[in-house]
Amino acid sequence: MPLSATPGGRLPVAAVPRDIGRAMIGERHTAWWFVAPASAAMVLILGFPAIAAVLGSVNLGWGSAKPFGVASYVRLWSDAEFLRTLLNTAIFVISVVSLHFVLGMGVALLLNLEIRLRWLFRVLAILPWTMPDVIGGIIFRFMFDTLYGGINAVALALGWIDQPIDWLGRPGLALFSVIMAEAWRGYPYVMLILLAGLQAIPREQYEASEMDGAGPWQTFIHVTLPNLKMMLIIALVLDSVWECRLFGMIFGMTGGGPGQSTQNLTLLVYKHYFQFFDTAYASSIAVVLAAILMVAAMPYLRIAIRRAE
Amino acid sequence: MNRSFSKVEALAKLALVALLAGGLALPAIAQTTITYADWQLAQEGWGKSLRAAIAEFEKDNPDIKVKAEPVPLAQRDVRFSTAIRAGEGPDVFALDSNPVRQYIAEGWVRDLTPFVTAAGGRSFLADFYPNSLLPVTVDGKTYGIPMNTVAMGLVYNKKLFDEAGITAPPKTWEEFREVSKKLTRSSTGTGTVDRWAFTIVLAPAGFDLRVSSIFRSFGGDFLTPDWKRSALDSPEIKAAFNYIIDLILVDKVIPPGVSQVDANGARRMLANQQIAMKIGTTWSFPEVSAMNPQLDGWNVLKIAPLPVRAGSISPVHTTLYQKSLFINKNSKNPDAAWKLVKFLTDAPRMERWWDDNAMLSSRRSVNEGYAKIKQSVPASVVASEIQYGAFLPLIPQWPQILDAIRQNLQAAVAGTKTRDQALADAHNEVNAILERK
Amino acid sequence: MPRARMSWALTYLALLAMAGYNLLPFFWMAASSLKTDIEVTAFPATLLPRTLTFGAYGRIWEQEGFVQFFVNSLKISGSTALLSALLGVFAAYGLSRFDFRGKRALMMAFLASQMLPGVLLIGPYFKMLSLVNLYDTHFGLILAQTTITLPFSVWMLKGYIDTLPVEIDQAAMIDGASRWQCLLYCILPNILPGLVATMIFAFLLAWGDLLWALCLITTPEKQTMTLGITNLVGQFRVLWSDVMAATVIGCMIPALLYLMLQRYLVQGMAGSAVKG
Repeated sequence: MPLSATPGGRLPVAAVPRDIGRAMIGERHTAWWFVAPASAAMVLILGFPAIAAVLGSVNLGWGSAKPFGVASYVRLWSDAEFLRTLLNTAIFVISVVSLHFVLGMGVALLLNLEIRLRWLFRVLAILPWTMPDVIGGIIFRFMFDTLYGGINAVALALGWIDQPIDWLGRPGLALFSVIMAEAWRGYPYVMLILLAGLQAIPREQYEASEMDGAGPWQTFIHVTLPNLKMMLIIALVLDSVWECRLFGMIFGMTGGGPGQSTQNLTLLVYKHYFQFFDTAYASSIAVVLAAILMVAAMPYLRIAIRRAE
Repeated sequence: MNRSFSKVEALAKLALVALLAGGLALPAIAQTTITYADWQLAQEGWGKSLRAAIAEFEKDNPDIKVKAEPVPLAQRDVRFSTAIRAGEGPDVFALDSNPVRQYIAEGWVRDLTPFVTAAGGRSFLADFYPNSLLPVTVDGKTYGIPMNTVAMGLVYNKKLFDEAGITAPPKTWEEFREVSKKLTRSSTGTGTVDRWAFTIVLAPAGFDLRVSSIFRSFGGDFLTPDWKRSALDSPEIKAAFNYIIDLILVDKVIPPGVSQVDANGARRMLANQQIAMKIGTTWSFPEVSAMNPQLDGWNVLKIAPLPVRAGSISPVHTTLYQKSLFINKNSKNPDAAWKLVKFLTDAPRMERWWDDNAMLSSRRSVNEGYAKIKQSVPASVVASEIQYGAFLPLIPQWPQILDAIRQNLQAAVAGTKTRDQALADAHNEVNAILERK
Repeated sequence: MPRARMSWALTYLALLAMAGYNLLPFFWMAASSLKTDIEVTAFPATLLPRTLTFGAYGRIWEQEGFVQFFVNSLKISGSTALLSALLGVFAAYGLSRFDFRGKRALMMAFLASQMLPGVLLIGPYFKMLSLVNLYDTHFGLILAQTTITLPFSVWMLKGYIDTLPVEIDQAAMIDGASRWQCLLYCILPNILPGLVATMIFAFLLAWGDLLWALCLITTPEKQTMTLGITNLVGQFRVLWSDVMAATVIGCMIPALLYLMLQRYLVQGMAGSAVKG
């Protein structure tokens, strides 16, 4: 494999096949020694439990009293709570990722400009993402509190409302609040990926576009976006996967309530495991979630593997 | 000379032997160590009070050493049940009334009848309120000794009442509505209401005691008297259910955001004078006063019996809270454990629980005889209410039933279900839970 | 870099708006932590404290045992980071320098496992750890959090090792060094910044975890910071000012570390699929 094709842009040297080292010293199996500890650890702490969970969902594996059966999965499709939660998760992820894209794109464009004190604005730009998600949930829980929260206080002071709004007590508003909170917390992630992509766009393209007399909006559509396509896919796919798996933020902010209006699949699994002790059913929901994530992440996985070889 | 010397020698030898024998015998008075687990050991006031009592007990009983084990309320049942199932667990522990029947049914607590009989049997138990013995007695056997019993009442802010021109606490729920409208206003004159009359606890922590009190004072109850079926379809419960929702949505005498208010939140609102009334009991006084010393809680707050529905003749109109002591089935030192239980529930200690923690006793003689309790108006009011109070259903499925009712009430308040639908759903869900057993 | 056509004023205005939006919750958190307990539950809420007090910080430090939680989190997150880095650097070297059968599958496994939701594993973990008496122990939690940090560490470290030319290894081997010595003496010193960055990111991933701590720890004294803060809300008599003080402390370390490492952030997040 020629060196110049590897990522990171190494110094171009004569293409030396990698396995020369191996052949010379006869270290055919050395590779295994190196990857063995981590691989063994992965099998033990990830592979084994994951398979156990899948088996558990069909009543195989240890501790199952009932015989093999896909009853759990069948039950899923007639369970109103599961379908409701699936819908919630979809609404949540689509809304949040869209907001992340808008906010992230906007700020990335800003930070891509030649501005003074850029380092300061960069620091400020990633601040929300540094907050651990459950802490964010608790802070927003307080901010959206009906009587004691800052949001109602500001709205009342500005005269926008004359009675405090019960953000976290009404189902629709609660979902809205949770989406707003996570939109704030997670957008720097998308912003950073997009910024890296923006900075890789060759200057000549912009200069050419300017010479053609294109306005800023046209430049954006015809120069910026096409170059960003790859990064956009990566950013949105990864962000969607993260948001599907979100647990702490929602747990800290609403616990899934009121009712089940802010409950996502992760919280539902947790509920069935630790409140109802229904392990088979919980595992089946988790397996469905994992399957969704794997399918959604396919584009990114393919790109990443190809790039890393 | 020789003879007297040998006599002295003999005496000395005798004394030496006696000393040695005594010295050897002393360690034979072995020390037993017992553990006492209580969630209130983790609280500031109660913790100090309990530990002082334990120190006194150890002084009176030098052969017994007590190890105090605080346990967080939320984890209490999980910890106790896991430990006891494994053959371990604290020797003596405290429980509120909710899980008691489950503990007895599972065989985790020791039958105390032999001890009670030895202590006087019926005359020993006579001093306790008959109500208070209900949770801890099954099939005539005594499994626990009640320590503190209180009834829920209406705690109100006299100063706010005076400002609104209200002279006496409402006696009926109809009066309550009128009073509430007067108490809900804007103190800044901007038109934004910032003072409300009342709040209700809809979050899990504290929901049971407070909402059940309202249901009961309307003359209804959650379950039929035999605890086998739901009684949520009675007209009394329907009236109570609608009344609560009217207060929130129609009269708006309750602050917005009520669905997240728990017992602690309600106390905070009363402390900050954001509400004028709440359902509480004697413990509300020290709690609320500590939250806001400027409020001068002990003077400004008063307590009255809960309002009742006009014309209601039900003998029960409020809910009781009780803390009782139990001995672990696995305890290796039941005699020492019994001594501790008897000590912590005897009359002098009961007086101390009032002095330190504003908690009434389960002993009638103390509640009606102790000077400081008699002098305290709140205490007397609550004490006299105990006879009108009943416990929440003492069955193992109670937590699930409670949650079904709470979720449906929340749904009706949030508007995701109509009121009739919510009540009907609650009724059906409770029956389903009871049948599942 | 495109020359900005819009006026500079608009640009800076937009940047200030961004800064304000980002800082708002931090400001609320900090201001609330400095209010008295009565003011923090006033209606309507005040924005700036009328009376400044550090009482909340004193209370959580002494009464709620936050020192213990803080130390626990440091210990657990640190150990997780170390463990992941140790295992990860070996695997990364193997994946970077060698070709072998099943390499692609292995790499796919490391990459795809980052997409697995933690909830899939909590059930079996509960049983597994109970069997070996590791339930409710710090070690058990470290193992569980490694599921998050190990794949990520391998991937990141591989990216860093890839940037070093194979010649370094070959030169060393010609001089008679073994592969193991190559790694230790040639590779590691050169990727030290990347190694440190990987460990810090792993530390941060573990620090922010709630799910595993929530499911695997029950003894109050063993709680991590995130778990301690979560349990603080809705306890017997907890004030928002205390909760906010706790969150200030819980946020400071991640904020500082992330800000120190922003250079490495992009590579860390999108893996070696992104040109750093």
